[in-house]
Amino acid sequence: MENRSVVQRLIARPEFGPFVLLVVEIAVFWSINPSFLSPQNISNTLAFTVELGLIALAMTLLMTSGEFDLSVGSVFGFSPVLMWTLFNSGVTSLEMGFLIALVVAAFIGLVNGWFVTQLKIPSFLVTLGMLLVVRGTALFVTDGFPQRTWSAEGSWLAEVLVGDFFIGPFRIYMSLFWFIAAAIALGYVLTQSRTGNWIQAAGGNPNAARARGVNVSGVKIGLFILSSLMASLAGVISSLRTSAANPNSGTGYELEVIAMVVIGGTALTGGRGTIIGTVLGILILRVMRNGIVLIGVPGLAYNIFIGAIILGMMALHSWLERRHQAGT
Amino acid sequence: MAEPLVRMENIRKSYGRVQALVEANFHVNEREIVGLLGDNGAGKSTLIKVLSGAVPLTSGDIFIRGKKVNFRSTSDAIAHGIETIYQDSALVTQLSIARNLFLGREPIKSPRFLNRMDQEAMNVVARDLLKQVGISKNIPPTTPIGSLSGGERQAVAIARAMHFDSDLIILDEPTNNLGVAETQGVLSFVRSARDSGHSCIFIAHNIHHVFQVVDRIVVMRRGKVVADDIDPKKTNVTEVERVITGMSDKEIRDAIAEGKHSGA
Repeated sequence: MENRSVVQRLIARPEFGPFVLLVVEIAVFWSINPSFLSPQNISNTLAFTVELGLIALAMTLLMTSGEFDLSVGSVFGFSPVLMWTLFNSGVTSLEMGFLIALVVAAFIGLVNGWFVTQLKIPSFLVTLGMLLVVRGTALFVTDGFPQRTWSAEGSWLAEVLVGDFFIGPFRIYMSLFWFIAAAIALGYVLTQSRTGNWIQAAGGNPNAARARGVNVSGVKIGLFILSSLMASLAGVISSLRTSAANPNSGTGYELEVIAMVVIGGTALTGGRGTIIGTVLGILILRVMRNGIVLIGVPGLAYNIFIGAIILGMMALHSWLERRHQAGT
Repeated sequence: MAEPLVRMENIRKSYGRVQALVEANFHVNEREIVGLLGDNGAGKSTLIKVLSGAVPLTSGDIFIRGKKVNFRSTSDAIAHGIETIYQDSALVTQLSIARNLFLGREPIKSPRFLNRMDQEAMNVVARDLLKQVGISKNIPPTTPIGSLSGGERQAVAIARAMHFDSDLIILDEPTNNLGVAETQGVLSFVRSARDSGHSCIFIAHNIHHVFQVVDRIVVMRRGKVVADDIDPKKTNVTEVERVITGMSDKEIRDAIAEGKHSGA
């Protein structure tokens, strides 16, 4: 009886569905094409996974607080463009350019948060506007052309952010450690810290939270800043790894990131979020993108699978939620 | 006579040209349950919002134990021992009972810079409090509020106010949409709050519920307090209804017959 209730509790967890899906996905791809689990393929998949993953981790907290940020994709593209523009024109060192890019990203997050909390405009509209402003700025500053990026060789910043080394046959980028550190830190914040309680309350019932003295606006503004900062960091990491700074990069990432978060079990309406679920959601989408190409499905069909996964997962989460509410 | 716990004097509140409160005077004594009654638009909600710090008053004074106070937010009122429990907005349904109880005042484990909640301590206190307000079922404090019944949610909100030593607990329509047994449960939570030294303001549309639990009835009409010392033991529902509407028995009957008056 006791065992049964443990199993039931496990199944009722929002992370259970995504976990099963990920296992099934890996098993199917591996059985069709064993090279799916080759060290080289795993290394390649992980490298890009963690870059989008960094944004998804921050987005999990933001969505738990009841908001979301559509401008992350454009900040992902804009930050490296800004950093390289400052560096190439000799205004600053690469490191200082990186710092300035982070400060500008934080400011973008602050503006998003201010519009949402002080002017009470829905985050959908505010961050949609910001998406266009930031993307437009990146295109305007660069005339639409990619920036020169070849001079990062030997920079300690590049080493710290994307330096690579081999563990056995696996090529590991430093960004993987940044991702793991961010997942642990933000998971801790959400589940163990007082701030996490405020984030969940801000999304679940902002009036109740406010009545208890929780600074709901402060929490949300902080999370908008975090989300922008992570998008900026991810953009710079991606740019250093691929030696490219294209003002158009990151287009459409916002929706992929939000999909990762909701597939993992975080409620789009706020109040409930899970970092473990998001990590699973990130892996599900990236494995899918990689796997369908490896098994010979045309890459253009990718979105069909992603759409189907989102719909299926939402149905599962809604069913679990109703069971939970019914106390079964 | 001893100074009341809360005294509101000549309270005015206008929304633009609409006068929601006109020179309203109101008080609550220590260890007293006051029933605040009035028809829709009489001003009781506005009075409560002013007292709970949710809206600023236009003019007038609020005293707590004789000391003048100035509330700029609900947190101000809470800091002065005034806790308002709205039926649907008091709790976060996704959070557990314990996390709701301590929301905004979570105990922190050392080292403090890690900002880590002391969840064990929260659970221990929550378990104790649930017993204190008389929730008979064995509900673990880690249960999310979303899976509790309406009456149990009220009990949790009342328990929270009691734990944080609120002197005055304002209950806005606590028995709305509750079944008979649940309503009785909530009324007994209110009595246990008074027995442990707290005062309450009880607002309900159902006058019968008010009669069962309050020590004194206050009636508002058109932004004013029109009666503030009705003893529920010395009157009946019809009498109070007459004061609420300001109509005679015959006028009430005629109005009901014409469908103008929905009853209290």
